[in-house]
Amino acid sequence: MNDYDVLVIGSGPGGYVAAIRAAQLGLKTAVVEKQHLGGICLNWGCIPTKALLKGAEIAHTLTHLDQFGFSVENPQFKVERLVQHSRDVSAKLTGGIAYLLNKNGVEVIRGRARVLDKGVVSVLEEETESVFKAAHIILATGARPRNLPGVQADGQRIWNYFDALVPKAVPSSLLVIGSGAIGMEFTSLYQDLGSQVTLVELNNRIMPVEDAEVAALVHKSFERRGIQIHTQTAVTAVDTQNPQHLVCTLRQANGQETQVSVDRVLIAAGVQPNIEDLGLEALGVELETGFIKTDAWGQTNVFGLYAIGDVAGAPCLAHKASHEGVLCVEKLAGVDSAHALDYDYIPGCTYTRPQVASLGLTEEQALARGYQVKVGRFQYQANGKALAMGDSEGFVKTLFDAATGALLGAHMVGPEVTEQIQGFGIAHTLEATDEFLQQVVFAHPTLSEAMHEAILASSGRALHH
Amino acid sequence: MSSLFAIEVPKWGLSMEEGTLSRWLIQEGDSFKAHQELCEIETSKIANALEAPSDGVLCRIIAQPGVTLPVGGLLGVGAQGEVSAADIEAFIASRGGAPSAAATPAPSTAAAPVKASAPEPQAKASQAVAAPVATPAPQSTATQIPATLQGQTDETQVQATPHALRMARELGIDLAKVTGQGRNGRISQKDVEQAIVAQGGRLAAPQLATPNRQPLRSTEDDSRLEATPLARRLAKQWGINLHDCRATGARGRICQADVEAAQRTYQPATSTVAAATAQPTAIPQADFEVQPLSGMRRAIAQRLQESKRNAPHYRLSLDLDLENLMALRQEINASIPQVKVSINDLLIKACAQALIRVPEVNVQYDEASQSIRRYSDADISVAVALPGGLITPIVRAANQKSIAQISTEMHHLATKAKAGTLKPEEFQGGTFSISNLGMLGIRQFDAIINPPQAAILAIGSSEQRVVALDGQMVIRQQVTVSLSCDHRVIDGALGATFLRELKRLVQTPVLMLV
Repeated sequence: MNDYDVLVIGSGPGGYVAAIRAAQLGLKTAVVEKQHLGGICLNWGCIPTKALLKGAEIAHTLTHLDQFGFSVENPQFKVERLVQHSRDVSAKLTGGIAYLLNKNGVEVIRGRARVLDKGVVSVLEEETESVFKAAHIILATGARPRNLPGVQADGQRIWNYFDALVPKAVPSSLLVIGSGAIGMEFTSLYQDLGSQVTLVELNNRIMPVEDAEVAALVHKSFERRGIQIHTQTAVTAVDTQNPQHLVCTLRQANGQETQVSVDRVLIAAGVQPNIEDLGLEALGVELETGFIKTDAWGQTNVFGLYAIGDVAGAPCLAHKASHEGVLCVEKLAGVDSAHALDYDYIPGCTYTRPQVASLGLTEEQALARGYQVKVGRFQYQANGKALAMGDSEGFVKTLFDAATGALLGAHMVGPEVTEQIQGFGIAHTLEATDEFLQQVVFAHPTLSEAMHEAILASSGRALHH
Repeated sequence: MSSLFAIEVPKWGLSMEEGTLSRWLIQEGDSFKAHQELCEIETSKIANALEAPSDGVLCRIIAQPGVTLPVGGLLGVGAQGEVSAADIEAFIASRGGAPSAAATPAPSTAAAPVKASAPEPQAKASQAVAAPVATPAPQSTATQIPATLQGQTDETQVQATPHALRMARELGIDLAKVTGQGRNGRISQKDVEQAIVAQGGRLAAPQLATPNRQPLRSTEDDSRLEATPLARRLAKQWGINLHDCRATGARGRICQADVEAAQRTYQPATSTVAAATAQPTAIPQADFEVQPLSGMRRAIAQRLQESKRNAPHYRLSLDLDLENLMALRQEINASIPQVKVSINDLLIKACAQALIRVPEVNVQYDEASQSIRRYSDADISVAVALPGGLITPIVRAANQKSIAQISTEMHHLATKAKAGTLKPEEFQGGTFSISNLGMLGIRQFDAIINPPQAAILAIGSSEQRVVALDGQMVIRQQVTVSLSCDHRVIDGALGATFLRELKRLVQTPVLMLV
């Protein structure tokens, strides 16, 4: 007889959400965690970085006090206090997850899990091994930072995001490899805290997954702040001989090599799934480009075995993992209303200065798919609230299908756009058309008025253009 | 002139003996036209609407939704002209029932008939009768059926209401030439009347199709109409068909305002049911906790009590050697990642095959009609224990399914059972049941038959036993199974034949694969 109806391996935003949903549906559920409840997101990702970014924002504000009539003599900054704040937030949230799991009747099993056979999991904690049977096993083991050929994180001077979250001091100079969300956020953060940051990207532009116009604006903005950006460039080696500084070899697309000396290097060149030591090979679990292959509901090729979140493939985002967790559980529990996820419409947020938020297709993708696209743009420079805040860099860009009025994509760069993107998310999920969205009353004065204007602009009707 | 008439459970088919009132489509006191749909009645086979026999006013509702009555049972009383409460009471009494007794279907509505003797309904009734209803027009013209409609109806080929069929017979109309506008294209008398008029015929005045005062309400499937999510939700809540809404939203979608407009048009009277039940005072007693029976508990209690009382059970027990079945399972599970077969899955398959080979056991007993239903497919109900109850999801046509299909299906059915998401068709019916308590260490037990099925197999735990084989003591993996049969339809030798066949399949599992 089974010990559990559902056993989840990993308690990150995918795993713990899946476990809670399963318990809510009346299934006997347990979650296995080898380290921290909450996974990377709460402990080493989304949340602690946001705590540090608040510090960076204050640092930036301090340089612009005069605009609002203030002056502060010689402000002091202790990085260890900021790091402490960030760790405190993580600890608090991790406690919250324990409470939620307990409240919903999910058992937490501590230790390292391994799938022994279909429906059988062993959990090793220190020296003790326990074996559990479960009708459904959900793998939610997440991902970890990827190393590069020739550049290995050492936890001292060559960092990955774990190290970048707990700096002992702000490095005088930092070289960031990779301009995905993680690389971009740390670039912006450390530049604001006083580092001289160099950003290196292999692609021909930074933020390769974002709309080209948005990436171009951020590129310009970063350069204005003094960040050095090298695109189409690879870091081929980091020389650690000199105890004072690291010497990085940068190779451009044309083969030309240059050397850059920096205090610290941060590798932010993507993640790789945690699929090792889980017993997957013996079971014959199929992989796809290194990630576990699943159907639209997280089912792997093995009976009763599912995978959700980062371990099941890109985009490696917490909210995608949570959503997949709920869908997977609802499907296996026979909940009728479960709808498969539309992977084109998972919002993405990057907490740089300026912030970037997007949903759906980029203009390039929409055109490539043969849509006749109506594009609307609106600059925050024409938005009263943004001007009043002294933060009016950026724009909103909307893409509608000319034939149906459907929202194809929305791309935002500027003040607090990460808090606004879900307005477009709701519109898309409810299949609102441009005509409907034009009729929505947006409150004044808000930043979100720029969304409305961009919608109007896509039909040539912007009022404050 | 006034007269009262009965609204009663119709006989819709030769085998129909009773009907369950699902809901009234009009309220007490409402007036109706001949052939207007008054209420919906379900039988074991169909759900259909009852049409009014003539114009009138529904002066009394006797039966409440949920009540099952025999054919001819009194559902309500209709009136033409002025009637008094006393007349109504006398009429009901003449039908052989004290009104209050006839109308006590469910405890929550028991208060309703008490009001009947109060003067208020009378006033209501007479007022309603005064409305433009019962004034039969002088018969000025005779009915003429256009040639295009004339003919004989093949009643097996058309879907039509009883009234429409009768009218077709009387007037010589071929219903195949009439378009039905009811649910699933069902032809009502109104459709026939409209067809006659539309194709140049004439109707005798009383039968002339007149529009209802109430706007007609659509029953078509509206799931494909374009509507905003909010509009769809409101329409569902208010019981409004989206076909009855205008679509004024952008791009022709039905929006909230459209559904609200439709709601204002219909203004369904809201009925309030006052259910004041006196709470008995609790007397302090020794320590116990009162747990009201859950719906599931009640169903189990009622059904199994009925089975134990009505079906003469006898049991047959047998030991099955599982060595070969275990080897097969091991081989399947080791070679195919997509499949995990349990011994229980294999026993489901074995039972299904045995039932096909001994079809006299694959039966249901229809006590009412004194007949046996023999099924061509083995639909195996498998008991799944739940906290506070059990449910028997069904592996349909298990004889036609592969072992892998049975295993995957059973895996999902068991999880759905626990999550409470099984659909009625996934647990209602079945031709044979399996109950397995082996995982709880039970060696052998007898199960109660799951009516109207006629047999159930109880499976104990699979264990190593010392057995005598060819004069030697050997250790074999074995399980004891017990078959409970309903002796009314399965005799002892037949049950034994089934078990022998099951044993052959389990011990030589390759037979299941060919």
